[in-house]
Amino acid sequence: MVKKYLILDDGTSFVGEAFGDLSTATGELAINSNLNNYQESLTDPLYHNQIITFTQPSIGNIGINPKSYESILTSAKGIVVHQEENISFSHLKNLSLNSFLKERHIPGICQIDTRALQKYVHTHNVKKASIVNNNDAHAFDQLQASVLSNQQIQSVATPKPYLVPGSGITIVVIDLGLRESIVRQLSKLNCNLIVVPWNTSFSEIKNLDPEGVVISSGPGSPEEIENSVIDNILEIQKELPLFGIGLGHELIAIVNGAKIKRLKIGHYGDNHPVKKIITNEIVYPHQAQDYAIVTDSVDTSKLIITYVDLINGTVQGLRSRDYPTFSVQFLPESALGIENNLDLFDEFIESVVAHRRVKYEL
Amino acid sequence: MNNEKVVLDNMSMQRALTRITYEIIEKNKGVNNLVLIGIKTRGVYLAKRIANRLKKLENTDVPVIELDITNYRDDKKEKNNSQKVATNVVDINEKNIVLVDDVLFTGRTVRAALGAINEIGRPKRINLAVLVDRGHHELPIRADFVGKNIPSSKDETIKVLVSEIDDRDGVEITKK
Repeated sequence: MVKKYLILDDGTSFVGEAFGDLSTATGELAINSNLNNYQESLTDPLYHNQIITFTQPSIGNIGINPKSYESILTSAKGIVVHQEENISFSHLKNLSLNSFLKERHIPGICQIDTRALQKYVHTHNVKKASIVNNNDAHAFDQLQASVLSNQQIQSVATPKPYLVPGSGITIVVIDLGLRESIVRQLSKLNCNLIVVPWNTSFSEIKNLDPEGVVISSGPGSPEEIENSVIDNILEIQKELPLFGIGLGHELIAIVNGAKIKRLKIGHYGDNHPVKKIITNEIVYPHQAQDYAIVTDSVDTSKLIITYVDLINGTVQGLRSRDYPTFSVQFLPESALGIENNLDLFDEFIESVVAHRRVKYEL
Repeated sequence: MNNEKVVLDNMSMQRALTRITYEIIEKNKGVNNLVLIGIKTRGVYLAKRIANRLKKLENTDVPVIELDITNYRDDKKEKNNSQKVATNVVDINEKNIVLVDDVLFTGRTVRAALGAINEIGRPKRINLAVLVDRGHHELPIRADFVGKNIPSSKDETIKVLVSEIDDRDGVEITKK
């Protein structure tokens, strides 16, 4: 077994064994407490440039399958697990996690007590980490000197628009680092999708004549995004039904005057109960956030808070009082075992249909 | 023979009521000055559910008037004077009214309801919310808030079920 080290930017190091690619990597450390969905996380552009730690102790046991990609190109920088599994009876499996990582040149480290690591990270201010072959002073110097990119969206979003044909309503999806699940859900509802790059202008979108717009989730900070994107959303909101997810939700909040803060500890998991205020229902959606809306900054004359995280109190959903615009912080296309409780895409399409009626009849 | 077809299941029905609630807030610019009027029988339950949702979102009790339109129907010649037009009456003068019914079909029920409302006051504005608009309107009446448009043929019956008095929530369509 080849030894490998996970070193943290506060000088701590954890020793483990190498798997996957044998290279080294540096990135932001994300702690993911999902019980499943490791393939989805590894391929989700949301984790761009991050080293993902899975606290679920056994990872790899259903291999890699063609139906679970969130994007074809992988975004994560590295993976930290407790036990790497290579035994599978999944009928979907055609590739093991280990060979997948090797092929994608993603280094992994296993035999790490990831729950202890999580506890450590939650009590210390750790942001950056490296997976390295030696935990010497040089490695720590390099980790300290590394600068994390603030051009996240640009590196993962599609550079060109493309069509995902369907027989139903035409929807424009603004790609800020699109997860394929969003496309899957909208395709299930027969939407005719046009996916456009993150910086597409409002007039270009309008000329495509969509009946609604979805702003995708994506990596990075909502505060680093160009002002033109914010101005675009302001225009879209006035004219078309709009649905924002993750980063898209944060941007809609900014457009409507709310402030964003960075969470002390990013939250990646599906273990938080989230309350749907209008019906008092509780859901456990898949959450992945480093940023959150400052609750006090939400202007209640413009926005209604629709979902709230019951563990940390963060705003998880918003709706405009004046326009058919709504958004959620969590990822509405996947929830643990209770898929049916999250019908936000149906809600969006129905609000598009209602808006069409208002537009043509009044 | 069982020829019922479910056109709105329980979840879709909840979602439709949720959306109508948000649309009412959007159109009315909040819930101030708002009164809901449910047409008996099922319209009342739907109106109460909308009021319940408004309460959770806005923390305001929106009054729900229960309207009995029997005396105002155009297919009934004789009036029963002992019949009360409305219960839970509040002052509706200069209020924004949302009239709630389960199905919009010919529009005659709504016409009758407008007559009945006339009896209890003079509102500022009346909007109409229905869970189902099935077409075949015979009067110049349209709904402002629609749960679902269900184009139907005249020999079909559309039944809205509410768990308060039926055994479940949903909308079903049956052929006569």
